[in-house]
Amino acid sequence: MIRFEQVGKRYPNGHVGLHELSFRVRRGEFLFVTGHSGAGKSTLLRLLLAMERPSSGKLLLAGQDLAQITNAQIPFLRRQIGVVFQNHQLLFDRSVFDNVALPLQILGLSKPDIAKRVGAALERVSLSDKAEQFPADLSTGQQQRVGIARAVVHRPALLLADEPTGNLDPRLAAEIMGVFEDINRLGTTVLIASHDLALIARMRHRMLTLQRGRLIGDGEAG
Amino acid sequence: MSDNQRNIKAAERVGAVQSKADKPIKEGPGFSALFAAWVESHRASLVDSLGRLVRQPIGSFFTCLVMAVALSLPMGLALLLDNVERLGGSWQKAAQISLYLQVEAGDDAGLQLRDEIAAMADVAEAEFIGREAGLAAFEQQSGLGQALRELPENPLPAVVVVTPKEIDKAALEALRQRLAELPGVDQAQLDLQWVERLTAILGLGDRFVFGLTLLLVLALLLVIGNTIRLHIENRRSEIEVIKLVGGTDGYVRRPFLYMGALYGFGAGLLAWGLLAFGLDWLNDAVVRLAGLYGSDFALGGVPVADGLSLLLGALFLGYIGAWLAVARHLSELAPR
Repeated sequence: MIRFEQVGKRYPNGHVGLHELSFRVRRGEFLFVTGHSGAGKSTLLRLLLAMERPSSGKLLLAGQDLAQITNAQIPFLRRQIGVVFQNHQLLFDRSVFDNVALPLQILGLSKPDIAKRVGAALERVSLSDKAEQFPADLSTGQQQRVGIARAVVHRPALLLADEPTGNLDPRLAAEIMGVFEDINRLGTTVLIASHDLALIARMRHRMLTLQRGRLIGDGEAG
Repeated sequence: MSDNQRNIKAAERVGAVQSKADKPIKEGPGFSALFAAWVESHRASLVDSLGRLVRQPIGSFFTCLVMAVALSLPMGLALLLDNVERLGGSWQKAAQISLYLQVEAGDDAGLQLRDEIAAMADVAEAEFIGREAGLAAFEQQSGLGQALRELPENPLPAVVVVTPKEIDKAALEALRQRLAELPGVDQAQLDLQWVERLTAILGLGDRFVFGLTLLLVLALLLVIGNTIRLHIENRRSEIEVIKLVGGTDGYVRRPFLYMGALYGFGAGLLAWGLLAFGLDWLNDAVVRLAGLYGSDFALGGVPVADGLSLLLGALFLGYIGAWLAVARHLSELAPR
């Protein structure tokens, strides 16, 4: 699914985000990327979302080389990816339903199909009764679940999450992780960047550890 | 709840969900579904853009008003120029061609020649003035009646006065040369001074209007571009999210293009109204002034065809202005 081969990222100001990173992720795998702030977790996710390009090496996502991808291909690549942010990135002037429906509208699905899939996604995150509400009316945990519903509503092959439990209490964090595992069971590859080692240890999944842009660990958490 | 219990619960939930609408979107929708979605996307963009304009009525109105003023200035001048040209229609007589016939030509031949000339496509009117009528007129106008009567015979030739349809200098000269070659014509005379002056004045007016139009179109593009830029700034986070979930540049651009076109349409309507009102307001004064010169001249209003052209042109300019603004700022809208 994902193949990093000696991938490096150097910024114009000379800062090195990633040093010759090499690893593979199989289709359907669930893994964490962890490390301290500045370790390169976010850089890794940004590379996978084609928000940035590698400075060196080869980065393959579902067989597509992200170093060679054209700007016109990027939207179509992102349609295969779901992404969850720590700050949710919801549209506050749209209802929960409309927020979740956005990727489907972009895909060009019919209204009934959108309604069906949004309903299913909201059901998966236990927010069926909040469809007509606006994000501002929801708690932080509920907003995060709306973000997750939007990320998975189009059944992406890959789900990326950047510190998805950063603002949540341990109970809510565990609940959110449970949702990610549900999604993973449906066949979606899940990659979560987090520095919450205690939570990761409980999950017992593969964990990549980054330090100053270098991969210093690759094994099962806990 | 233990991990095991939670997984079982999750599995039940997944099962329930899968049975409803959890199939992966592996294949794209068919053509008809895509077309319907495309139409729906355009409808949604139009409604959304219209809603945003309506929710800010004062700001939207003033933006349209600024654009309307920029549109109505060159359009108003062009309409005034049209009216001047219409008024100048009476100057057409200054471009008359006088054909002096050979002295031995009789009135019958002269009348026949007049009919022949009057039938020409580029001639509006042809008038025959016989030798005796010409002498009488000359006596009256010159005050030389006594001296003329001393002459052994009438020295004046018969004349055919030709009024052309066009007052273009080159066309007039070509017509004069053709008429001069007709049998029985001794000399063809054209006073081009008035024509040249009129053509020069109208040419200057046309050029001024053209230059002003270019400048104001540029100003209009800047106004709409800046307005759309502000809308883009206000919706930056929304655009970033749309791009992150796979929205193409076209998808991002669409609502702004509708917004630009709507601004243009509103400005076109306002400009039409301003022109109609302005011309009507001026007309009273023009009619009074023309009346003092014994003329019944009155300003024409905004022709419907011109009004519709203004409306469509404004809509198009709004669209183009928005397109340029979005194209300029789209690269800055990469998700952060």
